[in-house]
Amino acid sequence: MLSYVVAGLALGAIYAIAAASLVVTHVSSGVFNFAFGAMAFAVARFYYFLYVEHGWPLPLAAVVAIGLFGPGLGVLLYAVLFRHLRLRSPLVRIVATIGLSVALPPLVNLVLGQLVNVTAPGLAPQPVAVFRPFGTVVDMNQLIIYAALSVVLVVGTGLLRYTDTGLKVRALVDSEALTAMSGVSPTRVSLGVWAFSALLAGLAGVLVAPTAGLSVDGMTFLMAAAFAAVVAARLRNLPTAVAVALAMGVVTSVIQRYLDADSALSAQIVPSVPFLFMLVFLIAHALRGRAGDAPAGGALDRAIRAEAAGAPTATNRSGFVAPLVTLGVVACLPLVLDDFWTGLTGTGIALATALLSCTLVTGEGGMIWLCQITFAGFGALLAADLTANSGWPPLAAVLVSALCVVPVGVALGLLTIRLGNLYVALVTLTFGLLAQNLVFLRDRFYNSGQGIYMPRPEWALDNRTFALLALAVFAVLGLFVVNLRRSTAGLAVTAVRWSEAGSRTLGLGIVPVKVLVSAVATFVAAVGGGFLALAYQSALPDSFNPFTGLVWLAVLVTVGARPVVGALVAGVAFAVLPSVFQTYLPTRWAEVPVILFGFGAVMLARNPEGIIAMHARQLRDLSRWRQSRREPAIAQGDLA
Amino acid sequence: MSATSGTTSPRIEARGVTVRFGGLVALDQVDLSVPPASVVGLVGPNGAGKSTLFAVLSGLLAPSKGTVLMDGQDVTGASAQARARRGLARTFQHPELFPGLTVREHVVLAYRLRHTRHRIWTDLVTAGGFRRAPVDEDRRTDALLAALRLTAHAHRPVSGLPLGTSRLLEIARALAVDPGVLLLDEPSSGLDARETDELATTLTGVVADHGVSLLLVEHDVELVLGMSDVVHVLDFGVKISEGSPAEVRADPAVRAAYLGADHGEERTSA
Repeated sequence: MLSYVVAGLALGAIYAIAAASLVVTHVSSGVFNFAFGAMAFAVARFYYFLYVEHGWPLPLAAVVAIGLFGPGLGVLLYAVLFRHLRLRSPLVRIVATIGLSVALPPLVNLVLGQLVNVTAPGLAPQPVAVFRPFGTVVDMNQLIIYAALSVVLVVGTGLLRYTDTGLKVRALVDSEALTAMSGVSPTRVSLGVWAFSALLAGLAGVLVAPTAGLSVDGMTFLMAAAFAAVVAARLRNLPTAVAVALAMGVVTSVIQRYLDADSALSAQIVPSVPFLFMLVFLIAHALRGRAGDAPAGGALDRAIRAEAAGAPTATNRSGFVAPLVTLGVVACLPLVLDDFWTGLTGTGIALATALLSCTLVTGEGGMIWLCQITFAGFGALLAADLTANSGWPPLAAVLVSALCVVPVGVALGLLTIRLGNLYVALVTLTFGLLAQNLVFLRDRFYNSGQGIYMPRPEWALDNRTFALLALAVFAVLGLFVVNLRRSTAGLAVTAVRWSEAGSRTLGLGIVPVKVLVSAVATFVAAVGGGFLALAYQSALPDSFNPFTGLVWLAVLVTVGARPVVGALVAGVAFAVLPSVFQTYLPTRWAEVPVILFGFGAVMLARNPEGIIAMHARQLRDLSRWRQSRREPAIAQGDLA
Repeated sequence: MSATSGTTSPRIEARGVTVRFGGLVALDQVDLSVPPASVVGLVGPNGAGKSTLFAVLSGLLAPSKGTVLMDGQDVTGASAQARARRGLARTFQHPELFPGLTVREHVVLAYRLRHTRHRIWTDLVTAGGFRRAPVDEDRRTDALLAALRLTAHAHRPVSGLPLGTSRLLEIARALAVDPGVLLLDEPSSGLDARETDELATTLTGVVADHGVSLLLVEHDVELVLGMSDVVHVLDFGVKISEGSPAEVRADPAVRAAYLGADHGEERTSA
């Protein structure tokens, strides 16, 4: 048992370092860093590049990678991204960091090279020394991890409590505006905070690499586990985050003593432990009414933020011309492209339907749900199961499956009604991760990665007919969304989104409106999932990973979360662009589209409305400018 | 006019309302009633508990003790939306508008919630979003926008509206539900003298023409005393005075609350 506890404490200590990094940046800048895993990966990969690939001495490689490159990365990211996020809406703050998490790893791979199945070294010299105190086994890497956590806690606490720098950081946490008015530069303090945070991210990445692997997946899991500790700490209590992280590590390790290492159950339960922790704490916080949006900063900061929080400054009533032209162009693609590209277009249109659910729930409802891909997965798997195993017609199976998934979305909507934006995002992400581990990976659905066969309708077997069918379904659902937006229900949804008190005193119930949005969005996501299964002709559980869903959301919000055609453009671009790069450019460039998608989301920090709305505004401005030039000319002509 | 007009029960009434926030007593045994088709003023220094009483009356805050009645029926446990459906509307000290909607859409939504509530659901299956608005709705909406001098702003989103205009919009939105009782929290704040006079005229007209009862919280004491039939004065959560504007104006306790104890006594002895 002791050896399990020792190993668990080491794992928990890495979680604790990661959690400390997340808490520090969240309380000081209001940004919950979804790019933490990507930053950890970047530093760990650079350490590997120096130490293994270029043979630098271990201490020098560690100091340069963790002590210089990590903080440098933090400073750079603060300068280009994080400093723009403090006054942005919660959605933009979340999506921009998700964009960074999408773009950074492939960018690192592009520069440093792609690694496959790497055994990463930790900070211990090779071969790793092993000790046997009290009949248990402890290796040097574990001792270094304990020491690292101790140093982080002692130095961090000392810095925050007993130094002038710590005083400035605490002032910044309370109010950026008042800090600035006291003659302290919030920018310099924030630079320091982000540098320190990136150092911790790099340290955690290097420490976890030997056990979790030097891969994006390994770092993402580290980040997700740290999220659980941070949620337990209500996003701001550092000692609680550290304690819960250690407990989580121990539980994850000890539970393996009682599970059959080769069983499927073990493979599902062990990775789910952090998410179960998160779920328990989220429910506890929600029941105690302590999971609302924590007010960041002081009254002055909030007054400034209210002016810049992304409230619409122009009406969003777009005409029908641009959407119809877009729809027409996409409809022409299957008619003019060859079978391969037509197949990709069909997949993109199916994805667009799933993205339409994000348009509804996030674009209209303002609810930051990170599990639409999970509903799509439920829809796909259920539809495929009904078709393949019960002989249902495919389209009927898609429709019925989508209806069956709706209660799940409604239940989630009811559970999250009283939660703040960030908690809603985390709850829905946790739900997706649990569904992935506990449902999608079950043998019945996973089938050794093959998923469940999903035949297309006999009259839509070819890619062209299927693409047009998918487009017709998208158009119908798109019209439904437009009708909802312009209807009384749409006015009610917008009202509830922006002011619950104002809505309630008008006689508008919050629960029915949010349930309506949840139900419709879940239905649309599940229909999209069913069509994705039809496009692939298989319901593949791996296609519905929640982290892929984050990329979906990043792409959609980048293009524009509100316009219906935004979903269509985002879906087709997401499906087609990678193949364009793979087909026409060198293999090395294959991941460039992902980098572009990610940086597109990062750009939201500057243009929160998304690309379509931004260009529409620019076109309107251009039109007004041309008109204003013409009118004086006409006036002068009249005078002459 | 509300369906319940003509009854003798107050439109809304607080009986022995007490609100505690931890150890702080924000309201202590406060009684207040608003008779039909009347204007009742509620004044008091900052921190007196006026907005807290509004929150209790409108259902956004549950009292620690006491009851709230509407048209003689106990609504203490009723939600804010249930009270709104019974004919209560309110505005806020800090306007609670919907930045995603235009000025006109605020009024349209409020009108529909009162008159065609079913459209929240039926619009989804009847393509209601693509149909023209009914004539009655257009007429009533235009009239309200005109009455509150908002016509020029009708198609603007509300972000960036001046404070005074935002308050007028809140009032227009509240009136669009044809309320039986209207709670106005500092409606003249942000308005200049001319706009304040116009607002007073509009509100007086609403009371006279539609039998709406008004409960008015204002820092502009002259406005309250000029409009109100009865005035209640709160200080530190306790009601210290109640009566006609003239009676309240002459009450030494009120003078003491506003001008300080010494001044109040001085004036009393004088």
